[in-house]
Amino acid sequence: MNRRTVRNWALGLWMLIVIWAAFFYAPAAQGFKGESARIVFFHVPQAWVAVLAFCVNLIASLRYMRTRDPLDDARAATAARLGLIFSILATVTGSLFARVMWGSFWNWDPREVSIAILLLVYAAYFALREAIPDDERRASLSASYAVLAFVTMPFLIFVVPRIYWSLHPDTIINTRGSLDMESRMFQTLMGSLAGFTWLFFWLYSLDVRLARVKIARQAREGE
Amino acid sequence: MPAAESLVWVAAVTAVIWAGVFSYCLALDRRVRRLEDGE
Repeated sequence: MNRRTVRNWALGLWMLIVIWAAFFYAPAAQGFKGESARIVFFHVPQAWVAVLAFCVNLIASLRYMRTRDPLDDARAATAARLGLIFSILATVTGSLFARVMWGSFWNWDPREVSIAILLLVYAAYFALREAIPDDERRASLSASYAVLAFVTMPFLIFVVPRIYWSLHPDTIINTRGSLDMESRMFQTLMGSLAGFTWLFFWLYSLDVRLARVKIARQAREGE
Repeated sequence: MPAAESLVWVAAVTAVIWAGVFSYCLALDRRVRRLEDGE
């Protein structure tokens, strides 16, 4: 068994421990209906990974502008795709929590509206990519669009929800800059954040390796 | 259904979802490795 296989199976086991901790180790949160707050152990890491993915998308897009390397374009597209998937997952888990806590899947809360706009912004990135058949033109236009799209991300995720009153609990992100959380809940959340970040980099590396093979094949066929 | 029992069910469903995601990633990893070896 090589090192990569061991690392992959370690993640599998790690996430099973996180799932056990989320349901049986962490206590039920105070001030929430029933066990609904346990979804935070999955919802927050998914939102975090989405933000991380959009940051990677920005870095790869800026790199592409400098290098014009098709692999950097593939890196940017992969990061955006994963960012979009994790944003959708964060929206779904958030809606489930909203249904239990506030009685409706959608409440037009500033955070809900912000993530919906962010989803549209990054969905447009893929619409743009699909609309341009020429590889180089597609890569350079989508790199420029990615830089513009990223500008909206901190504004929508971090600024808007703080300007307006929100239904969201402020135990994790608040103006006091502190984590108001019981220690076992905090440990579980940190474990989950680490696991989801690990999963993101695994998926990202798989897709980039696949793109590398594809690009090498295209280059050989072009010769 | 008692709260403790339903929590076990939700945990089991979450574990099954994770098993699915993990199996998909492992299969993709094997496929990528095969393609890389074929290059």
